[in-house]
Amino acid sequence: MTRRDIECVDLAKTYESPSGQVDAVAPLTTTFTEGQTTAVVGPSGCGKSTILRMIAGLEAPSSGTLAIGAETPLALARRGALSMAFQDASLLPWRSVEGNVALGLKLARKPAAPEHVRKLIHMVGLAGFERSRPAELSGGMRQRAAIARCLVSEPELLLLDEPFAAVDALTRKRLNQELPRLWRDLGTTTLLVTHSVQEAVMLSDRILVLSARPACVVADLVTGSDAVSAQVEQALQEAA
Amino acid sequence: MARWLGLALAIVLWEILARLNAGSFVIAGPIAVADYIYMNTGLLGRALGATFQAAVWGFLWGNLAACCLACLVVLFPRTERVVNVFALLVFCLPLVATGPILRVLYGPGAGPQITLAALAVYYTSYLALLVGLRAVPQSWMDLVQSYGRGSVTTLLQIRLRASVPYLIAALQIGAPVAFLGAMVGEFTGAERGLGVLTLRAMRGLDVDATWAIASIATAVSVLAFQVFGRLGDWLQTDRPTLLLSAAQTKNGPAAWQRVLTAAAIALLVVVVWQVLMDVFGLNRFFAKRPADVWTYLISGSNATAARETLFAALGQTLWLTFPGYFAGLLLGAGLAAAVVILPGVAAAILPVAVALRSVPIITTAPLIVLALGRGSLGTITIVAVMIFFPTLVACLQGLRQTPGQVHELFQTYAASRLRLLRLAQIPAMLPAFFAAARMAVPAALLAATTTEWLATGTGIGNLMALTASTSDYNMLWSAVVVLALIAMVFYMAVEVVEQKVLAVYASEQVRR
Repeated sequence: MTRRDIECVDLAKTYESPSGQVDAVAPLTTTFTEGQTTAVVGPSGCGKSTILRMIAGLEAPSSGTLAIGAETPLALARRGALSMAFQDASLLPWRSVEGNVALGLKLARKPAAPEHVRKLIHMVGLAGFERSRPAELSGGMRQRAAIARCLVSEPELLLLDEPFAAVDALTRKRLNQELPRLWRDLGTTTLLVTHSVQEAVMLSDRILVLSARPACVVADLVTGSDAVSAQVEQALQEAA
Repeated sequence: MARWLGLALAIVLWEILARLNAGSFVIAGPIAVADYIYMNTGLLGRALGATFQAAVWGFLWGNLAACCLACLVVLFPRTERVVNVFALLVFCLPLVATGPILRVLYGPGAGPQITLAALAVYYTSYLALLVGLRAVPQSWMDLVQSYGRGSVTTLLQIRLRASVPYLIAALQIGAPVAFLGAMVGEFTGAERGLGVLTLRAMRGLDVDATWAIASIATAVSVLAFQVFGRLGDWLQTDRPTLLLSAAQTKNGPAAWQRVLTAAAIALLVVVVWQVLMDVFGLNRFFAKRPADVWTYLISGSNATAARETLFAALGQTLWLTFPGYFAGLLLGAGLAAAVVILPGVAAAILPVAVALRSVPIITTAPLIVLALGRGSLGTITIVAVMIFFPTLVACLQGLRQTPGQVHELFQTYAASRLRLLRLAQIPAMLPAFFAAARMAVPAALLAATTTEWLATGTGIGNLMALTASTSDYNMLWSAVVVLALIAMVFYMAVEVVEQKVLAVYASEQVRR
């Protein structure tokens, strides 16, 4: 195992609810290789986001172990090497687009880099909106600002929880072209939760298809061949 | 436009009432008030300056304390129960008694005025800030946590800024209250200030002066209210959805845990009281310890007589407080509902309601008693007036909580306004109503005891004033303890009713 591989061994999550125990994620054993982009697809509510939140250290696993190289998620986060984009843009309404993107640096304890911030704002197609507040932006624009915020700290591990859901087709196409290049340059390990098979194929090196709750891996595919889209579609149909 | 029309109408009505009652020595009209102010500009200006200064200092200290307490609770959630009880207990201390005690402790100077202004302000600010600091979407917290940062970063980067609208709203409510606290402090033997002039005017039955001082105090309070409103607009803060949170219901501790916690906190209060008195080396003659109150009320040779006197006075007070309390709540909620059914009325009523809410009780109490007599009607009216305006404002705010889609849903069924009010808006209003009802408990007791002290000469308010002037500090401290306990018990009783009602009618709005 290299230094930043993510190794999950029997990682599982169970919730207590008024109607009893809910198994969200069945024991999952897999390794996400350093520098690779892995897309996680599966039916709605199957536990994809829960896996991401456990890797981010936002939720404790009910059982199993999780290690990122020799580190825990918290240790990785504390040295500013992890960032996550959520389904909801989670922009602070009192900060401008520039301020929200710069917050990513501040929280990662990295020095201010106004030029870098502006470059990323341009990359996500928000040039001219640097001083705008989130309330002045559309849902898709807010989501793009959130993507810029999680990229600005140049993390070693990037967790993306359906971040392109509200982004318009044109921007999505541009991001799909630019992001893999950026991740390759930085050597980022990326985990992407998405509903779009096309996006998963385009952005990732590997695709994990999960079953309905409790999530377990029904297909583990390597992208690159023309047949992979059909394989994912078929696995998804079987999973549902 | 409607706002100015409402104000102009109120002034004209005031003048007409004054002329109709000419010779009754009850109402001075706006012309007489303006004339008095013009003739005594220097005197009133100096008094206003002194009261204003004390109110500003108290306001600052009170809000600073509120900020510190709220941050403490957010950073260390386990402290919440203890901090809440201490904060409530101090808030429930009757100003009528704490004033004279503070005067003895501080001696001459502005100390009591500043302290009472701070005490009057801090609790509302604390509750509002606590709601504000917690009114943060979970995703913002996740964002900070995903970078491995802890509660201090969350507080500094997210919570403090997110709570600004709540702080502004609390400052807006607190500014007039601080002015009232400073005036009560001046009643306890200050050298100058509007409170001192009020006392002098009341004793001399100088109606023009009393109305002039009440008008000035109201104008300052309304101005302060407006200034903080403008500050909120300037900072472009959103209006908080609900300033005071609903009581906690589900997932609370078990009954035995609550009893145990209450007992531990009560013990802690006694210890803190004793330690404070000893650390500052306060003279036992006026700074009574828990044991002194225990001996005086329970184990001493004259305990039975002391209890009889105290509880007889307390009975008189509560007998008048309850009807006023319920009347104020019902009128406030009722008018808020009426305003929703007849929206045109709101524009005219609200500015007047806000202005009247800012009238300091200690200036209105003697005037209402003058008008309605020293019987029970005067006291009940004052208590009701004191409760009515905050309830109206809270309920109007609560009624606005009904989501827009619900309005549209009812529209698609062509439902009447009354139906919308009954089925959607009143349940949406309930948390705000109960928050107002809780806060109204100490306010009602303050109104009743102040009226008894200044005007009617009955009840525990009068007893406290009397014992303060005769240096009967055992009785004074006992009255403080009993009144604070009564206020806390009723506050918690309202909370229990709130929990039961909200669990049925507004379970989605309950804080879990």
